Amino acid sequence: MSIEIKNVVKRFGSFVALDDISLDIPTGELVALLGPSGCGKTTLLRIIAGMESADAGEVSFSGQEATHLHARDRNVGFVFQHYALFRHMTVFENVAFGLRVKAKKQRPAEAEIRKRVMDLLGLVQLDWLADRYPSQLSGGQRQRIALARALAVEPKVLLLDEPFGALDTKVRKELRRWLRRLHDEMHISSVFVTHDQEEALEVADRVVVMNHGRIEQIGSPDEVYSNPASPFVYQFLGNVNVFHNRLHGEWADVGSGAEADGKALSFVRPHDIDIEHAPVAGGLEAQVQDVHAIGPVVRVELLHGSELVEVELTRERADVLTLSNGQRVWLKPRQVKVFAAESPLEEAGSGI
Amino acid sequence: MKAHRANAEPRWVRLLLTGIALGFLGLFLGLPLIAVFIEALAAGVPAYLAALADSEARHAIMLTLLIALIVLPFNILFGVAAAWAIARFEFRGKSLLVTLIDLPFAVSPVVAGMLFILLFGARGLFGPWLSDHDFRIIFAVPGMVLATMFITFPFVARELIPLMQSQGKDEEEAAVSLGASGWQMFWRVTLPNIKWGLLYGVILANARAMGEFGAVSVVSGHIRGETNTLPLHVEILYNEYNAVGAFAAASVLALLALVTLVAKSIVEWRMQKETEMLEASLPPEKTE
Amino acid sequence: MHMNNKSHRVLPGFGLSLGYTLVYLSLLVLIPLSALLLKAGSLSFSEFWKIATAPQALSSYRVTFGSSFAAALINAFFGLIVAWVLVRYPFPGKRFVDALVDLPFALPTAVAGITLATIYAGNGWIGRHLEPFGIQIAYTPNGIVVALAFISLPFVVRTLQPVIEDIEAEVEEAAAMLGATRWQTFARVIFPAIFPALLTGFTLAFSRAIGEFGSVIFIAGNMPMVSEITPLLIISKLEQQDVVGATALAVVMLVISFIMLLTINMLQWWAANRHKGART
Repeated sequence: MSIEIKNVVKRFGSFVALDDISLDIPTGELVALLGPSGCGKTTLLRIIAGMESADAGEVSFSGQEATHLHARDRNVGFVFQHYALFRHMTVFENVAFGLRVKAKKQRPAEAEIRKRVMDLLGLVQLDWLADRYPSQLSGGQRQRIALARALAVEPKVLLLDEPFGALDTKVRKELRRWLRRLHDEMHISSVFVTHDQEEALEVADRVVVMNHGRIEQIGSPDEVYSNPASPFVYQFLGNVNVFHNRLHGEWADVGSGAEADGKALSFVRPHDIDIEHAPVAGGLEAQVQDVHAIGPVVRVELLHGSELVEVELTRERADVLTLSNGQRVWLKPRQVKVFAAESPLEEAGSGI
Repeated sequence: MKAHRANAEPRWVRLLLTGIALGFLGLFLGLPLIAVFIEALAAGVPAYLAALADSEARHAIMLTLLIALIVLPFNILFGVAAAWAIARFEFRGKSLLVTLIDLPFAVSPVVAGMLFILLFGARGLFGPWLSDHDFRIIFAVPGMVLATMFITFPFVARELIPLMQSQGKDEEEAAVSLGASGWQMFWRVTLPNIKWGLLYGVILANARAMGEFGAVSVVSGHIRGETNTLPLHVEILYNEYNAVGAFAAASVLALLALVTLVAKSIVEWRMQKETEMLEASLPPEKTE
Repeated sequence: MHMNNKSHRVLPGFGLSLGYTLVYLSLLVLIPLSALLLKAGSLSFSEFWKIATAPQALSSYRVTFGSSFAAALINAFFGLIVAWVLVRYPFPGKRFVDALVDLPFALPTAVAGITLATIYAGNGWIGRHLEPFGIQIAYTPNGIVVALAFISLPFVVRTLQPVIEDIEAEVEEAAAMLGATRWQTFARVIFPAIFPALLTGFTLAFSRAIGEFGSVIFIAGNMPMVSEITPLLIISKLEQQDVVGATALAVVMLVISFIMLLTINMLQWWAANRHKGART
């Protein structure tokens, strides 16, 4: 089932949570809504689920208008950020809930319910926990039970609110891969909300980057990372060096060369800068401040004038360069993106 | 319980304080409790039983039970409804509503009873109309029911509002998103989650409903064998210097108090376990 | 396209539950209260003032508030000790004692009244030991204080207990490490931390005591101008068919109730928020 969102607006008092959002999610895609907290991503997810109603705009499923459809009639699976497992029910009863509350005509027989629930518990590899209560489970187990419960009613759309937010790093990585596999097996459309760019880039088919209630960019993980549409996206997705063009005219030339009047900002990712010992055309002169080897990469901090520049080199390249503190070098960008500096830069969550 | 060994008071201070606390409670609470039963049995067991078997005493007991049976269902419904509206939705005037629910705790029972006399008494707002239609509220059971309702309606709501606020609405939203209807959600998710808090509120409301004196006294008219609840019966006998009879009736109420305390402790213990479960079911780390 | 988002709430039952709540409150509280105000409105202010400040009324306020204040003070002192012992010191039968603290909530006030009157009478269990010292409790204003202290005891203890439980042992340890004696630690660290709760408990006890009727009338002696509380004065006016006089006094009591309610809310708000600014 595809999801179409048209011109959705949502305000809470004077706060604009969603500002004219339009978005199409084709059938079978796994889409990430990515953005800092307060950007409206969870509100959008809840509007899709019918948990919240939009002040204006439309939501349709496979072309059918669903804006006024009640949450219980949308056939949407929703996984809550803190799971919202029914604490007084066993794992089995939690998963069976959606089947048991069906109208008598549609309700499967007890044996069928049992089989479906055990199949789902098998799918999430937790069939051995059927008789436990939610309080007896670990965070990762709860997450998977919440997912099994949402899937029990065979939804056409699966919505997940910060699905990995409350888990520790190791479990989080495992569950990410597992969610991806599960999505591919189920052939449904899934949307998940996250503030973690790594998570969005790794799991999703498409990433929707949001900020201040607006969509900044929609694209494949590679597109949004390599070709950010706005300064915000650039800063939100990974580390970046920002140069004010006024000071660094030569770098703007290396880039697209679009804004020659000097009122522009250049963005260069740390791994898109090379370091040379000798002056190069269009290079920036800088002084090495510090060199750290971090696992497979070497991070070099340099001072250009009064500005700090961060460069990431491979170990091989660093070995060839043999940099030392205080050394004079020249920086050469491989890829620069220039944006007109019309608006002051915003703080971008987990930027640098 | 945490050990405070590193910074505990000297032994003699602890003993002194414990002694003062236990002595005070024993003299102030324990002694009266024991005195009720000793006074009731002062003339021997047969006299005690005879006092309870008295037809007026039995009528008072039945009327007390009847009033509680009428009042409690309404107050339970009110408590659940008010808690649902207040803990689950945002609306204007919410804090005023919460204050209004607290009002009976602050108003003197005598004033509470008087409110109904001003409405339904012979010279009250609806008094003439009621006497025209030969319907009595004041100095009759309906007035006593109303006064008891007024005094006891906050108990259930006061218990449920903070409980439901702390539980949050995630589980109910999950139930709805899984296709549950309003009733299914209420019976399968909401009620199981609040049942101990609800029971706690009911126990408190019941104790107050059966024991209320001031408000009921104002509207009852003290008609023997008709509008005497057990507490009013105690008063009448006591004022007639029938100490054995008064304390026999009082001992029934004291037993009720003891049952209330035991039931309350059991429910408190259950609620504590539920809270521990709730805390355990919170995710280990929060985001943002 | 605009939608009315108030009609669309995902959780059901808003209209039903709020509707029932408001209807119930209106029938039970708002309409009766307006009847009182309506009745009071039939008095001119000078008439009202005359009734409200009649000598017998003034003396009843004095008895009611004086006794309530004394009872709340007694409870603040002993309640603090009881709460402290119940939280901090282990002793056998503690659960039983803890449950017993709620007895005044559970015991009907009439039962408390006749029992206290019997115990504290000149020939009673306690009264007879006080008589030789010339101390009379039952049938004097002292009896009112005892009855009010009895019925309002749980408020102070139950308000203090969770607050004392929440004091972190580390704070006391820190004070001890910095050289404070145990008494200094209590006076300078613990007491300031529990003071708002103590004040709240005191106010709750005071507020409950002001309106109390059942337990007091048996032990008070009910002598006009000496040991007559305001609620009793209201009742005797009602019995004399002086509805207007009763109404005037009820309005006075009601206004005081509202003030107490407001004070309690403010105290609780203050207790919850007084260090908020510093913490974040």
